[in-house]
Amino acid sequence: MTSNRLDWKDFLAQRRAVLDAWPTGRDVADIEDGLRYQRTIPEDKNFAKVMSRAKASGRTLIQPRAGVALIDDHIRLLRYLETEGTADLLPTTIDAYTRQNRYEEAARGIEKSMTAGTSLLNGFPAVNHGRDGCRKVTEAVRKPVQVRHGTPDARLLAEISLAGGFTSYEGGGISYNIPYAKKVEIGECLRNWQYVDRLAGYYEENGLAVNREPFGPLTGTLVPPFISHTIAILEGLLALEQGVKSLTLGYGQGGNVLQDLAALASLRELADAYFREAGFEDYDLTLVFHQWMGGFPEDEAQAFSVIATGAFVAAAARVEKTIVKSPHEAMGIPTKEANAAGLKATRQVLSMMADQRICADNAVIEREKDLIRREVGALMSAVRTASGDDLVQGIVRAFAGGLLDVPFAPSVFNRGKVLPVRDNEGYIRLFAKGSLPLGDDITSFHKERLQERSKAEGRPVTFQMVTDDIYAISKGKLIGRPK
Amino acid sequence: MDAPRVVLGVIGADCHSVGNKILDAFFSEAGFHVVNLGVMVSQDEFLDAAVESDAGAILVSSLYGHGLIDCEGLRQKAVERGLDRILLYAGGNLVVGKTAFEEVERKFKAMGFDRVFPPQVDLAAVAELLRKDLRSRKN
Repeated sequence: MTSNRLDWKDFLAQRRAVLDAWPTGRDVADIEDGLRYQRTIPEDKNFAKVMSRAKASGRTLIQPRAGVALIDDHIRLLRYLETEGTADLLPTTIDAYTRQNRYEEAARGIEKSMTAGTSLLNGFPAVNHGRDGCRKVTEAVRKPVQVRHGTPDARLLAEISLAGGFTSYEGGGISYNIPYAKKVEIGECLRNWQYVDRLAGYYEENGLAVNREPFGPLTGTLVPPFISHTIAILEGLLALEQGVKSLTLGYGQGGNVLQDLAALASLRELADAYFREAGFEDYDLTLVFHQWMGGFPEDEAQAFSVIATGAFVAAAARVEKTIVKSPHEAMGIPTKEANAAGLKATRQVLSMMADQRICADNAVIEREKDLIRREVGALMSAVRTASGDDLVQGIVRAFAGGLLDVPFAPSVFNRGKVLPVRDNEGYIRLFAKGSLPLGDDITSFHKERLQERSKAEGRPVTFQMVTDDIYAISKGKLIGRPK
Repeated sequence: MDAPRVVLGVIGADCHSVGNKILDAFFSEAGFHVVNLGVMVSQDEFLDAAVESDAGAILVSSLYGHGLIDCEGLRQKAVERGLDRILLYAGGNLVVGKTAFEEVERKFKAMGFDRVFPPQVDLAAVAELLRKDLRSRKN
């Protein structure tokens, strides 16, 4: 079950066109310049090394999201988050225009932000700022910095940011397309991400560790663990094939603690099993847990509680990293103070939990792990059948046939027939399975669990119940019960 | 009487799709004919759809903070396209960062929007306002 590694000659031929897309591409034309620059970065600022160390020591690292339009403001923001916020790992969140390769609009956003005296972009336009702008940022802080975005064609951004001193790159050919784009063809996107992974692999071949992180939570809206796990594992396989070594797979908080713990334990086990089965051994797998990605309560005290439950699960599951939300989440992009507050709240929970072992023998966790294993198994085997020896084609076919289907995604290449809903204990189950290739034993379990809730609430499972669940946490509850 | 027609979409480079699907379901259920353009809709696409469907209102969502940049000039363009009387509604997280809603509302109304809503608005109340506004526009 492999896709071929991108041929180096083809890579270099593609590279010319990639770098021509915007004038700053010229600055990274000499690929060796990026390698030389990365060699000057100390180990404790290398994302892959720091993740690996966290794994060895059993620590959970904390990382915020953050990015503004202008370089000096962005540096001030990151410095504040590493000092006041005690962030272990830093982000550079990229603005939405850059994510769509609209560099001219990003340029206008930079100008307007200068005039306005405040950022009018929702992130850092790294392509426009170019290699040297990125180096200014990564040199100005003490912690490793990762590019976080949502870019279907992220080739130029990868070239500029790796040459610019970033040591980790988020995203993947499914997870940065299906939830982030409307009309990007899946095969084309996967091939563009093979380029990114090949570039990261080239750094690895030259002894420079580059961390890669597929985006786990997808649409962040009631995504059942097995759907995001299958996609994370597929993106992991595609990355390993191109020579990536340091791989962080992600999962977003669902809200039911036992389901979340089962999901995190099974993600590690299943990824290892599928990677080894495909013949990969020389890789370093770590996990990231995303605090609640759905709608937040407006009230800041309530928001802190959502953050704290996420921090608790991260600690109990012993993941290497957690991505932290802020008390401003309901209002959009946080101030630096609110962002630091989310980090400190998370730090407090992690520290209190550091020496405790929570997740020992638990029959319910085992039941959920077994369910996830069977569900992922069903999807992986369907993708494998659709693949032949070409995983890229297999994934394209699987989406076309609805064998892979992400709830609430904007992409027209995603069937969108799967509807999740919570059961009577808040576990995320399937209300409509679309064409997902799940066996009767699995679907009847989901159905039974939903019947319990339906009975308890005296109403049928409908789209209204799904809507109620989507807004429940922002209204102070886990399950969207009728009033 | 025909169901009142409205155009719905998320403007600019914004791909927040969840609320869009819910708005579509809600307004359809509430008796509107919804022309849903989905996410990442340009100003021209909104206006084209409004002309084609003879809609009485355009409902613009923005969740990612670029709302001010993306919505600027929509009213002028609508007038240029002959949509002099079309209602423009905007809702969501319309600007970058926590800002007093009154401030956001003032800015969007100055750009020619008829009504502006925060993210936690009661949809039933919006539907009521929309029906009322559509009726008064007709007279």
